[in-house]
Amino acid sequence: MSNVISASHLTLAYNKGRKEVIKDVSFTIKKGEFVFITGPSGSGKSTLLKSLYGQLKPSEGDLVVGGLDLVNVKQKKLQDLRTHLGIIFQDYKLINEWTVAKNVVLPLMIAGYSVEVQNTQAQRLLKHVKLAEHANKFPLELSGGEQQRVGVARALAKNPVVILADEPTGNLDDYSSNVIWDLMENACQQLETTVLVVTHKIPTVFSLPYRHFIIENRGVYEVH
Amino acid sequence: MKFIKNHLMFILPLLAILLGAEFFMVFERTTQLYEKGLKESYTMMVVSHKPVELSQLKELNRHIHSSEPIQRERIVSQIAKGLNRSSSQEILGALPYFYNVGLDSYMKTSALDDIKLDLESDPNIKMVETFGTNHDSSYRLFSFIKFILNLFILFMAVVSLFLIMKQMEVWKYTHEERMKVMEIFGAPLMLRLGVLFRVAIVDAIVAGVLMSLIFFYVKFQWAERSGIDIIMQNHEMLMEITDLGTLFISALLIVIVAVFSTAFTSKGVRE
Repeated sequence: MSNVISASHLTLAYNKGRKEVIKDVSFTIKKGEFVFITGPSGSGKSTLLKSLYGQLKPSEGDLVVGGLDLVNVKQKKLQDLRTHLGIIFQDYKLINEWTVAKNVVLPLMIAGYSVEVQNTQAQRLLKHVKLAEHANKFPLELSGGEQQRVGVARALAKNPVVILADEPTGNLDDYSSNVIWDLMENACQQLETTVLVVTHKIPTVFSLPYRHFIIENRGVYEVH
Repeated sequence: MKFIKNHLMFILPLLAILLGAEFFMVFERTTQLYEKGLKESYTMMVVSHKPVELSQLKELNRHIHSSEPIQRERIVSQIAKGLNRSSSQEILGALPYFYNVGLDSYMKTSALDDIKLDLESDPNIKMVETFGTNHDSSYRLFSFIKFILNLFILFMAVVSLFLIMKQMEVWKYTHEERMKVMEIFGAPLMLRLGVLFRVAIVDAIVAGVLMSLIFFYVKFQWAERSGIDIIMQNHEMLMEITDLGTLFISALLIVIVAVFSTAFTSKGVRE
């Protein structure tokens, strides 16, 4: 299997390199793998994730995602890469003035799909996350668990190469959390999507084989 | 209510800028008309010992445009009433030659003095009368009013620009989160700005339509009944239909600059 994510001697820092969060780490993640990244609060989990979708430029080292070198990437190429990523946030990051259906098809809208295709896909995706009846509601009319399912549906909309999830169940109850884990497991199993989840706690009920990295003292270590 | 307020916050300053631009254009044209009128009606008087040709005067100063001799016989016939023919001939022989001399453009008093000096440098020219003081005073008053108006327009434009910048802050606050999410999912700049452009262009069109209504009212209603000669006589020329095109294009340019400024001053996703 080919590498989808590859980091080599990667250093991530804020304040123009003055505040290092991750230092000199190397790892690879292959297509179709399910990966958990855990670690204490403030250890740099979210920072690592941000770097993977190009929000934070590496200070040193190499970082390649989906074949694209994120150290020397041009804005246009970065935009292209992002259209092949499915990103899930702890705070959902839904667009509150848009309906649930419109939020879900955002990646399709960006890719230039027709309105008919968008509508069909919105119905399919919302049915998949069991929110079909909420298509015309606005995000703030839904519960936290439901909003996160909208976020997952949006992440799956364009069959992404990689799903990057930042504490996707951080604010949810057990039932909602299990629904989210199921959806991500299915995506990984059925579509061979690489899933990388940053979380403070690995779910106890998890059926897929997975890899587990811990971030500690600015390093990233794999747990065997 | 908030919706209307948000739109008015952009429409009103934009309208003020457009009105200012229109006033500026109108006053520029009015001044040009006035200057043209002054130029065409203005002549200086040149008195010479011998007859002088226009080409000779032009050689003395390049601003000389026309020269019309004043009939000496008519002057003599008026001042020599009751005198016999030989006396009249004597007076005519002693009388110098008079010319009304026109210029190619409107000149200030100092420039008229320079022309006078140039002309008087020729020994054949006996005297030059510029009538400079009368000529200049009314124009100076007009220029002063124009300067004050331009200053007011500039002040209005600056205040309006600040109001537009304030509205851009509101736009930033309203649209930043959506634009950030769209950017994270790879939306190109124009797609991210789509909503903002739609809002701003609608506002620009509303401002343009309001401007047009004011324009047509002034042109077809107020101007003809204003009682101001120069406006009544030239109202067709003062406010031209092409101004509307200029104003609509200006409004769109302001919108484009405002929207892009909002986008580029928003904090991007890449840190």
